[in-house]
Amino acid sequence: MTYPAPHAAAPHGMPPFPQGAQPLVPPAVELQSVVRRYGAGDTAVTALDGVSIAFPPGTWTAVMGPSGSGKSTLLHCAAGLDRADEGRVVVAGRDITRAPEHILTELRRRSLGFVFQNFNLVGALTAEQNVALPMRLAGVRVDRRQVRAALADVGLGDRGRHRPRELSGGQQQRVAIARAIVTRPAVLFADEPTGALDSRSARTVLGLMRRVVDAPVPQDGGPSQCVVMVTHDPVAAAAADAVVFLRDGRLVDRLIGASARDVADRLATLED
Amino acid sequence: MWRMSWSTFRERWTLFAGALLTVVFGVGLVQASVMVSLGAENPRIPAGTSPREAESLREAYDGAGSLLGMTAMLACFLAVFIVGSTFAFTVAQRRADLALLRTLGGSRPQVMTLLFGEAVLLGLLGSAGGILFGIPLMWAQAYLLTSTGILPGSFAPEWDSAVLIGSVSAGVGMALTGSIAATVRAARVRPLEALREIGGAARVMTLGRWIWGVSMLALAAVMVSGEGQVDFLGAMLIAMGVSFAGAIGLSSLSPLVVPLAGHLLRPFTRFGPLAELAQANLRDGKRRAAATAAPMIVLTALVVGLMAMLGTQAKAGGMDVKRKIVGEYVVTSNGADAEKIASVPGVQTASTAVTADIVLTVTRFEDGRRLHTKVRSGILAIDPAAYQATHTLKPVSGSFDRLQGKAVIAGPGSAEEGIRTGTTAIAEVGGRKEKLKVVARMPATLENNADAFFVPNWLLTQDMIAKSEAETTVKVAPGTNPADVANRLRDLRIGKVQTVSAWADARVGRQMEQNDSVMMVLMGLSAVYAVVAIINAMVIAGTERRREFAVARLTGLSRRQVVQAALMEASGVTLIGVGLGLLVAFAALGGFLFGPSGTEILAIPWTLIVLLVLGAFGISTLTSVLTTRSATRAAPVTLAAARE
Repeated sequence: MTYPAPHAAAPHGMPPFPQGAQPLVPPAVELQSVVRRYGAGDTAVTALDGVSIAFPPGTWTAVMGPSGSGKSTLLHCAAGLDRADEGRVVVAGRDITRAPEHILTELRRRSLGFVFQNFNLVGALTAEQNVALPMRLAGVRVDRRQVRAALADVGLGDRGRHRPRELSGGQQQRVAIARAIVTRPAVLFADEPTGALDSRSARTVLGLMRRVVDAPVPQDGGPSQCVVMVTHDPVAAAAADAVVFLRDGRLVDRLIGASARDVADRLATLED
Repeated sequence: MWRMSWSTFRERWTLFAGALLTVVFGVGLVQASVMVSLGAENPRIPAGTSPREAESLREAYDGAGSLLGMTAMLACFLAVFIVGSTFAFTVAQRRADLALLRTLGGSRPQVMTLLFGEAVLLGLLGSAGGILFGIPLMWAQAYLLTSTGILPGSFAPEWDSAVLIGSVSAGVGMALTGSIAATVRAARVRPLEALREIGGAARVMTLGRWIWGVSMLALAAVMVSGEGQVDFLGAMLIAMGVSFAGAIGLSSLSPLVVPLAGHLLRPFTRFGPLAELAQANLRDGKRRAAATAAPMIVLTALVVGLMAMLGTQAKAGGMDVKRKIVGEYVVTSNGADAEKIASVPGVQTASTAVTADIVLTVTRFEDGRRLHTKVRSGILAIDPAAYQATHTLKPVSGSFDRLQGKAVIAGPGSAEEGIRTGTTAIAEVGGRKEKLKVVARMPATLENNADAFFVPNWLLTQDMIAKSEAETTVKVAPGTNPADVANRLRDLRIGKVQTVSAWADARVGRQMEQNDSVMMVLMGLSAVYAVVAIINAMVIAGTERRREFAVARLTGLSRRQVVQAALMEASGVTLIGVGLGLLVAFAALGGFLFGPSGTEILAIPWTLIVLLVLGAFGISTLTSVLTTRSATRAAPVTLAAARE
């Protein structure tokens, strides 16, 4: 955990999304008093217990907490992959709490991107085909230059024709990031994106995520992109603009512009 | 989506290899059967053939046609079954990939398109292979049909290019139909599964399996519980019903039943850690164990159950024939020589039945309609008085005594044909036509190919009778030693002298041979498919387990030990699969045990069972060793670290 934060001059100080301090632009993702329970009767577990949080555009938030604190559930609910039992979830201005499957599919195509710990590239497709996949699924004409540019952006301009198994873990994760950002989604959800990488590759990946957040507002007037990242790694968390901490399904703290050491210390006290 | 289907197909071709082979085989069989059927549709009957020979030729062609039809249908059904299990397996294995597609914005219809695309590709490739394979297969089928005597040697199949369209449709049809269930399941994969291994991924017992399995087993149980209260025909129906319902039920519930049966293998775990590992794997790898055991259950249950049923039917038919004859010997000779039998000392009655080479046009009633049918075989000319003295079967309507003048009796072989007493039949005897009256109707018997019609022997000319084949039932006079009479009959040197029992057995044996050759073709075909299904399941499972095997080796097992443990597991699954299949088959035969004849008529095909058990163990051993060896070829450390 010695690698430096990739972007020393991150625009910290952005409203860390507490309730009541809503930014002027509407949030990219907002959870309002979200409750999620699993199981029933004596074995019921409340994974999220009335969580309210907003993630504004152009920000990068890390979600941390001990095992079983509900951070993955928070990500799943925010991304519409899991349904909240109570409360509301709003993504890109749309209430998705009870949205039917086809609306969620549409949302994933237009507004959401995903980066996973284990890369999750389609093994049968080349890097280029993997990156083009979300556009093809959305029925959008695939612009080859756009795909190549996305791969070049992540430093893999010359690897477009390679299949995932011919790439290193770090390279695979970069392809996954290119795939997640090629459609410029409003929100990029990352689930332990550096979890399976060595420190050098992790640094590259974090740098790429920083570029996503800091990219200038597109000419078509769309909002800048927002990153929500679940991680165990204090160094990765410190690269974000803000770190929020969960314990027993509740938001218990947030740090802004914290160092990896501060994050690690805070996490250690939560795990005690 | 189509491009992705193609990529997936290319990437995972090993998974599809078994299904592809099945479709190739299925299309080949359908095509060959169509060609051979086309050839058999317009039978070439050589000029100068007698009406009876021509009739038996026509019957042979008809029989071959329906056998080929059944073969083609069975091939389609089994191909759909195997394609279905392959797709189910690949979907289970690719849940994470499919969930990923959904996460990236793929809709349910898109996921379905992907899988149907793969099925169409499989169908097209399979059709291409099948069309080529169908040509040698067509000649092989024709050869089989002529060499087994089902068709005459002059037979040749016909080629028609239109069949190619049919072949492609059959191939794509089989693949698409087989993939439906798995595709619907794939569409239900939730995007969340891409992030976490959750619920659905581990669920093997689907709702469909529950419904099918429980309802079929319940049906089988109801039938088994009725076994004590039915007659022979009921027992036959129950045997068939229980074989099918039990096989389908147990194979549907196999993910539940096979691991459960795995508990019974617990005593083997005493043989050391490898046996323990094998038993634990058998119980844990539900999908794998079930996929291998299911085809074994179905094959064993159906083959053993149906063969035993047919054997029992023939045996019961033989018993029936013996029971209905009052006499000691049957002499087979020509009609002229048969006349000498009555005068042999010690013979009380000699009842001769001559095979009448005449054409009978009878009136039948079917669904209220009158139909006229020409009958050429199974017509016997008898002496009514002598026949009644040696045969106990009584007519259901009319009486034997009325077989006087120009009359005919509908025999047990035409009992189900809708012939009524009192109607007329036209007989063509030599060159002349005679108008006959149906004076009696016999009940049906258990025998297949029983005698169809009886006419009085004075209807035929002396010349005709003299040349025809005759069977004479001999009743020995009281107080005479039957063996002496038999010796005197043999001394006549007019033909074969057999005891009634030996004659009936030989008669049933001939029917059994016909049964056997048809059943052999159908069962052999099913066996080929079952073998493909078993190998398919084991190969897919073997490839899937590379990582597991690697971890086992890193834990301290040698490659040899890994192969041994996998082999023990495979043998356990085979034992369970064949055992459950036999359980179904034996449950199916219960009806005969409770029946009036008890175990006397039960014909259990022991040779077949031994061959089946040996075959199942042979195939599973070979496949297990080969796949495990190939899955453990790479150094364990490279595999243990690799992720899918």
